Amino acid sequence: MSAQGDCEFLVKRARELVTEDPWAAKAWLITARTLYPADFNIQYEMYTIERNAERTASAGRLLYDMFVNFPEQPAVWREITVITAALRSDCQDKHAQFLRGLFETLPGRVQCEMLLKATEQCFNTLEKAEMLLLLLRRFPESVVQHGVSLGETLLEAESIEDLESPVNCFRKLFVCDVLPLIINNHDMRLPASLLYKYMHKAAEFYISYVTRGPSADGQLQGSQEGVSLKSPGAPRGSQRYIIEGLTEKSSVVLEPWERLLDILAIVGARCEWQGDKGSRSYVEILQRMKELCRYLPSLEGETLSCCRSQVVTCTTLVLFHSAYLYVSAVQPTLFQAHSSPGAVPWILLEDLSSVFSEADLERSSSKHVHKKRKLGEGREKTMSSDDEDGSGKGRGRHILVSKTDMPGWADMLDSFRTARESWDLLHSHEALETEFNRICSSWKTDSWLWLRIFLTDMIIYQGQYRKALSSLHQLASFQPPQQVQVSSQGSLEHHRALIQLASCHYALGEYRLACEKVLEVVSGLVPQAQGPGRATEDVTRTRTKFRKGTDLRLLSCTSKAIMPFCLQLMLACFKLRAFTENRDDLALGHVIVLLQHDWPQGEALFLKAVDKICQQGSFQYENFFNYVTNIDMLEEFAYLRTTEGGKVQLELLPNQGMLIKNPSPALGLVSQEFNTLLLPGVQTADRHHTVTRGITKGVKEDFRLAMERQVSRCGENLLTVLHRFCINEKIILVQSLP
Amino acid sequence: MVKRLLAGLVKPKYAMTDIRQSLLRRDALSAAKEVLYHLNIYFSGQLQNAAGPAVDNAIVELVEEFIFLIPKDRNAPQKRMSSLQELQLLEVMCSYFQEQSKDSLRQVVFSALFVPQGNEADGCRMSMLGKLVSMAVAVCRVPILDCAALWLQRSHATHCVRLAKVLVEDYCGSALSPGQALRHIVTVSPLFCCQLITAVTALYDLSTDELIPSSELLEMVVTWIYDDPGLTLLSFLNTPVPPSRPPGSLDLTPLLGLIRWCVKSPLACRRHRNPSPMPRETAEGDRGMESLYSKLHLSVLQNLMLLQAHLKENDLYGRLGLLSVEHVAKLVGELARLADELKPLNAARETELSLNRLAQSLQVAMAAGALLCSREDLRCLCSRLPKNNLLQLVMSGPALQPTHSVFYPANPPRLSPVTHPAVPSTRTTFCS
Repeated sequence: MSAQGDCEFLVKRARELVTEDPWAAKAWLITARTLYPADFNIQYEMYTIERNAERTASAGRLLYDMFVNFPEQPAVWREITVITAALRSDCQDKHAQFLRGLFETLPGRVQCEMLLKATEQCFNTLEKAEMLLLLLRRFPESVVQHGVSLGETLLEAESIEDLESPVNCFRKLFVCDVLPLIINNHDMRLPASLLYKYMHKAAEFYISYVTRGPSADGQLQGSQEGVSLKSPGAPRGSQRYIIEGLTEKSSVVLEPWERLLDILAIVGARCEWQGDKGSRSYVEILQRMKELCRYLPSLEGETLSCCRSQVVTCTTLVLFHSAYLYVSAVQPTLFQAHSSPGAVPWILLEDLSSVFSEADLERSSSKHVHKKRKLGEGREKTMSSDDEDGSGKGRGRHILVSKTDMPGWADMLDSFRTARESWDLLHSHEALETEFNRICSSWKTDSWLWLRIFLTDMIIYQGQYRKALSSLHQLASFQPPQQVQVSSQGSLEHHRALIQLASCHYALGEYRLACEKVLEVVSGLVPQAQGPGRATEDVTRTRTKFRKGTDLRLLSCTSKAIMPFCLQLMLACFKLRAFTENRDDLALGHVIVLLQHDWPQGEALFLKAVDKICQQGSFQYENFFNYVTNIDMLEEFAYLRTTEGGKVQLELLPNQGMLIKNPSPALGLVSQEFNTLLLPGVQTADRHHTVTRGITKGVKEDFRLAMERQVSRCGENLLTVLHRFCINEKIILVQSLP
Repeated sequence: MVKRLLAGLVKPKYAMTDIRQSLLRRDALSAAKEVLYHLNIYFSGQLQNAAGPAVDNAIVELVEEFIFLIPKDRNAPQKRMSSLQELQLLEVMCSYFQEQSKDSLRQVVFSALFVPQGNEADGCRMSMLGKLVSMAVAVCRVPILDCAALWLQRSHATHCVRLAKVLVEDYCGSALSPGQALRHIVTVSPLFCCQLITAVTALYDLSTDELIPSSELLEMVVTWIYDDPGLTLLSFLNTPVPPSRPPGSLDLTPLLGLIRWCVKSPLACRRHRNPSPMPRETAEGDRGMESLYSKLHLSVLQNLMLLQAHLKENDLYGRLGLLSVEHVAKLVGELARLADELKPLNAARETELSLNRLAQSLQVAMAAGALLCSREDLRCLCSRLPKNNLLQLVMSGPALQPTHSVFYPANPPRLSPVTHPAVPSTRTTFCS
C-alpha cells in the first residue's frame, strides 16, 4: 500500500467512527499520526474532531502542532483566519467565544508568531493593521518592533488612498489604537519631531471627528436610511455614524477631546515640556501657555524652538476646543454630535436695542472727530491705526444674550473668550504665528466652515468690520446649495452671513449696503403671525444703558428675532439721515414707518420727527397711508394739519389719480368697515380749519377718507405691513441712502 | 513508659528481650500498641544513624508475635484478639500513620509491619494490611495510602494482587457505589491509585470469565485515567532510572495490563456472555462496557504519547522499554488463543475490534518508545493472529516517502517517524 493509500484508509476509518464512538476515532487517528507524522490530513482530522466538539484545550494543542508542523497548509491558514477574525470581531456568539478561547490556549510565543504570520498573509492594509494591533495589544514588547512601522503604514495608506477626510479608518486605527500603544510604551524612544507629527495627526483626527457634519457625505451607510432620516422631523442626532471600512462599534470614538488631552499629556511628558504638570483642562493649559509665552523672548536655540512648539501645539488645541464649543452653541446643527431637533442657531450682531434713543443722533451730526474723542474717553486706547472706525472696539465689548432663551450662555461666552485669547496668543509672536499657520495649512482649516464662523464672529467682536466683511463673503462660499433646503423649521442658517454682512456694513457706516443686505434678508422672511411688540423683550436690556452702539448681541436666528433686528437696523440707518440738518422727508417718512415697530419704544423719536416736521412746516411722504397704521401716529398727523397742530402742510397721498384709479384691494375692503369712533378728532379738525396752500377741497376730502381707511387698518398685522414695506419699497429705500 | 522504652533504646540488644518480657504480660491489644510505639522509637533512633534503618530479625519477630499473634513457641498459648480489639488496633495504626509527620519513619514502620517475610505470619500480615488499607480508603488516610503505594511497588506481585483483591471486593463488588471513597483518593494519593491499577490489571487478566473486571471496577479505572492522563505513568516517573525492581514485583506502569484489558475485552466478554441468551439490560450494560473500554483504550494511547514526550525530554527515548517484549508476546499469544477459541462463535466483529486495538497499541507503544522491537519482530510476534488490515499496516510499517505530504526541511515534524528505534544490545528475538 502506498503512504497516501494508508493515510486515506486511516482517516476514513476514523471518520466512520466519529459519531458512534468518538474515542475509537481518536485512537485511530493517534495511531495514524504515529505512522505518518508528516501527513497533514491526519492531524487536521484530529483537530476537526476537537474543534467541532469545541474542546478548547485539545483543539488548541492540535492547532499548535499543525501551526508548527504544517505552516504552509491552506487549511491551517483558513483556521487561523477564522480565529483571528473572531479575535477582531466583537461577536459574542458561542462559536466566536470558543475560537477566542482556542487562541488563548496557545502559548504566547505561538500567538505572537501566528498573528505575525497572519498579518503577512493579509493584503488588505486595514485587516493587516487590525491583525498587527491584536499582536501589539497582547504583546507590548512587540510594540517596539512593530509599533512605529504600523503607524507609518497606516498614515501611508491614508495618503495613498487619497482620503479627503482625516476621519477615515486608517487614521482612526492610528490615532485611537496604535498611537496610545506607541506613546505609552516606555521602551520606545521617539524623536520629538515624530511625537509632534503624531500629536498633530491625532489632533486633526479628533477635531475633525468631533466637528463632522450631521451627514458627512458617503459616510452614512445605507443610503436609503440616510434619505429617510433627512425627512423633516427626524432627529438628526440619531444618525448612526460609520467610518468607512470599520464596524459601527469601532466607528465610535468616545470623549474625543478628553482623549486628545490624554495624548497631549503623554506627548508633553515625553518631550519634557516646560512646567508641564499634566493639567487636565484646556483652560488651565491656556493659562500655562500665557505664562510660558512671557519667557519666550529670554530663550534661545533649541530650548526656544522646543518651547515654541509646545506653546503652538497646546494653544492650537485650546483654540480649536473652545472655538468648537462656541460654534456648537451658536450653530448647533452644524455638528452631528450636537444637532438636536429644537436647536436654533445664534448670530452675533450689533446691538441695536438703543436705536430708539436720541443719544446717537448727536454723534451723527458731530461726525468722526467728535466720536473718536468720545470713544477715547470711555475705554483704553488701542490700535488707532487699525482699519476703519471700529478701532478700539475690540476690547471689553459686551455681548448681550437672552439668558432665558440660551441656558448655557455663560459657558458659551467663556468659550468664545478662551478661543479669542488663544488666537491672540498664537498671533502674539511672529514665530508662533508661522508655526500655527503651518498647522492650519496642513489641516486645511480654511475649509472648516465652523472655524470660519468662529473667526468671523471673533473679527466682528474685535470690531474689524472690513475684515469681517471679507470673512463673511468667504463664509457664504461654504454654504452648499442643498443646505438651504434642508434648513426648515424657521431657522435662517443660510441667512446668517447676509445678516452679519448687514450688521457689519452698518457698523462701518455703510448704511446703503447695510440696508441692501437687510432687505435681501427680509425678502426671504415670512412675517410672523404674532403681533409685534414682544420680540425685543430682553432680560439684559438694562445693560445697554452704557456703551451704546458698541455692544454686540447674540440673536437667535429665527424670523421672529431677525425681522425685528432688520427693522431696527433700517431704522438706525435712516434715523441718522432723517434727523440731519438737511431736510430729507423720504428718510424721515421711512423712520416714521419703522418706528411703528415695537411701539411705543420709538415714541420719543417719533415726537422728535414730529417736531422736525413742525419746524419744516411741511412734510411729503407719499407712502404714508400705505404703511402707517399706528393709531397714535395717525392721530398725531391728523392733528398736525389743524391750526393747533401748526397747520403743517402734509402731502401724504401718492397722487390722487393713483388713489382713485388703483385702490388697493385691502383699502377697498376696509373702507366699508368705517370706524367712526376713532375719528372724531379728525373730523373736528377738518371742520374747524380751512385748507391752505392750493390744496383743493377734493384733496382735503381724500386725506380725510384716507385717514378713515387707515384707522380701520389698525388691526392689521404690523409685521405684515412692515414686511410689505420692505419688499415693495426696496428700491426706494436703498436709493434714499447715501 | 516512654522513658522506659527510651532507656531500652540505648542498648537495643539487651532491651529487646526485656521488652518481650514486659509485652508477654500484657493483653494482646495493649501489647500490640506497645510494639507500635516501640517501633516508632526504635526507628527514629535508627534514622539518625548514618547507616539508615534496617529491619532486623528481632524486630520482625516482635511484630509477628505481638501484632500478628503468631506464638513464638509452638506450645505457648496462642493469644487472640476479639474483632473489636482488632478494630481498635487498626484505629491505633491508622492514627499513628496519620499523625507521624516524618515520611521516612512512617515508611520504615510500615515496612516492618507489612513486608511479607515468607513465613506463616504472612497470612495474618496480608489480612491486616488489607483491612488497614481498606479502612484508609474509607476514611481517606493519605499517609497510609502513600505507604501502601510504596509497598505495592516493592512487594511481589502475588501479594500485591491479594491486596488488590481485598480492595476490589470491598469497594467494587458490593452493591455500594464504588464512587465516593475511591473516586476521591485519586486526587489525594494518585500514586496509590496508579499502583492499585497495576495490581488490579495483573489480577483481572480476562483469562477466565471470573477474571473479567466488573463494570464498577472498570468504570472507576477509566474515570481515574481519563481525568488524569498522567496517572498511569506516576510510579514510573517517581522511580529512579534505570528502574531497579525487586524480582517478581509488579510492572512499573499499568499500561500493559490496561492494553490487555482493552485488547482482550471484546473477545473475552463475548465468550463470557455467549452461552446464555442475552437479556436486554445486559445488552445495554455491554454497550456501556464497550464504550468504557473504548475510552480506556484511547486513554492508554494518549498515556503512551505522554510517555514519549517524557522519554524524549529525558533522553531516554529508545533506551528504556517500558513494555517488555516478553509480556507483549504473551499477550499476543493469549489473544491468538482467544481468537481461535471464539472462531466457531462467529465473533468476527469482536476479533476485528480486538486486533485493531492490539495493532493500535503496538504501533503507538513502538512510536512512543515504550516497546522496543522492530517491525520484523512484530511480524513474527503477530504471525499467529488472524488477518487484519490495520495490523498488517502496522507490521509492515509506514510506506516510505509519503507522496502527498510535502516535506519541510525547516520544520522537522514533531514526531519522528517510527522506523527502528535504537535497539538495545540485549534484546531477545522472538522468532525461533
